[in-house]
Amino acid sequence: MKQLWEKISKNRYYQMVFKNPFTYITGAVLLSITQIALFAYSGNPWGVSGTFANWGAWLYQLFGGSVEKWFYFSTSGAQATLDAGILSHTGTMLNVGIIFGALLATLLASQFKFKKIKSLKQVVAAVLGGLLMGYGARLAGGCNIGALYSGIASLSLSGWVFAAFLLVGAFIGSKLLAKFFM
Amino acid sequence: MAEFELDCMGEACPVPLMKTEKKMNTLSAGDVLVVHIDHSCAMKNVPEWARKQGYNVEVEEVDDGEWDVIIEK
Amino acid sequence: MSEPSTVRARPARKKKRNQLPIGILVFVIMIAIGLLLSLRSGQLGMFWLFGGCFGFILQKSRFCFTASLRDPCITGSTSITKAVLIAFAITTVGFTAIKYSAFAAGLPIPGQSYVMPVSLATVVGGVMFGVGMVIAGGCASGTLMRVGEGFAMQMLALVFFVIGSLWGAKDMGWWNLNVIAGAPRVFLPDVFGWFGALVIQLLIIGCLYVAADLWERKKLGTTDES
Repeated sequence: MKQLWEKISKNRYYQMVFKNPFTYITGAVLLSITQIALFAYSGNPWGVSGTFANWGAWLYQLFGGSVEKWFYFSTSGAQATLDAGILSHTGTMLNVGIIFGALLATLLASQFKFKKIKSLKQVVAAVLGGLLMGYGARLAGGCNIGALYSGIASLSLSGWVFAAFLLVGAFIGSKLLAKFFM
Repeated sequence: MAEFELDCMGEACPVPLMKTEKKMNTLSAGDVLVVHIDHSCAMKNVPEWARKQGYNVEVEEVDDGEWDVIIEK
Repeated sequence: MSEPSTVRARPARKKKRNQLPIGILVFVIMIAIGLLLSLRSGQLGMFWLFGGCFGFILQKSRFCFTASLRDPCITGSTSITKAVLIAFAITTVGFTAIKYSAFAAGLPIPGQSYVMPVSLATVVGGVMFGVGMVIAGGCASGTLMRVGEGFAMQMLALVFFVIGSLWGAKDMGWWNLNVIAGAPRVFLPDVFGWFGALVIQLLIIGCLYVAADLWERKKLGTTDES
């Protein structure tokens, strides 16, 4: 059995598809095809962070909180999604699918390693960064996927405005990173 | 012709790249820097950056999800 | 003081364990979950499949929207920026075709909820998100992908991303009332016509591509060989 895995590992086509990383351009083309296919199939482009708000709401409800009165969840559609639960939520399947897809790709390349948190700095960075992204994504109506990628591809001006200020944020973030988190 | 090591294990992007850039600036021509990384993106962007600087680069997979990037200035 | 350059003499390596079998096991589990979801509803199974594809592609190509905006600021490298622009261009063409065919057939245009209002909230949100993603080492898709790769730091970031989203959702009432209300949702074909919007957008993407390339040449001083 061991020989078989070794043999596969040395196979040219295995290395091409599963071992070696794709180029960025290949990634761009494949992502575009998948994005367009998703849009054609479901009538909605790809979004990631809207689902996080739903996860937050379900978590909050688990602790006895209620979001019914919040403007964000006030539409009947949002309420129906919340009532249907996490196992009927398509966005959840998409996001968990991303985690599994990435795990699969890493394992098939035999490159999986659990990476522990190394320092307090990383904890602070993750907490602060996570909160900023979460709040920011709600304000802008999405993240790099929903508001930027899907926004721009939907011929929306909001995507371009978001892009410009993301760049400003990334510049500030780079300076902060060099100063405090390195 | 000295060899230096840089431990970037457990560092998240873009820290390995920033540390490598900083370290390379202190090296003199002919020196070799071995960067230890376990970040799959750094395994792509550190060598790419070094090649664009015109350095010789080699990437070695030392273990599952761990790499050594060997850069010769 | 020149040491001989036998630099490769490093301690013997640990024996590598091949993770392929585990990978195949995970693949089988993913198929099983997909089938179970399909029994529940076909749509859930499809979204699971799409998610898996996105995750696989993102990881394989190390595609990182964060890096596309961050690397130009840090090292001046724009190879990911250019790839993202290519993705924008291809997807724009595909999306416009789908939207236009619906429009031409007199049907409602799909996906218009992604044409967001442009207001101060977009600006503040963009800056906050930009800072956050650089510090946390990944945006939403990047964080998910790195959770799959086994990064504890991004698992923590994901938890706080969810908390931040809830916080943001809670405050949306105020933002909507005071900032977003009345802000225009600008769909470019409404301004330039379908053909005009497509051409203008592709031209802008083309110009940005050239600008990104020039930026890299200026910052790194070498020609792009990759």
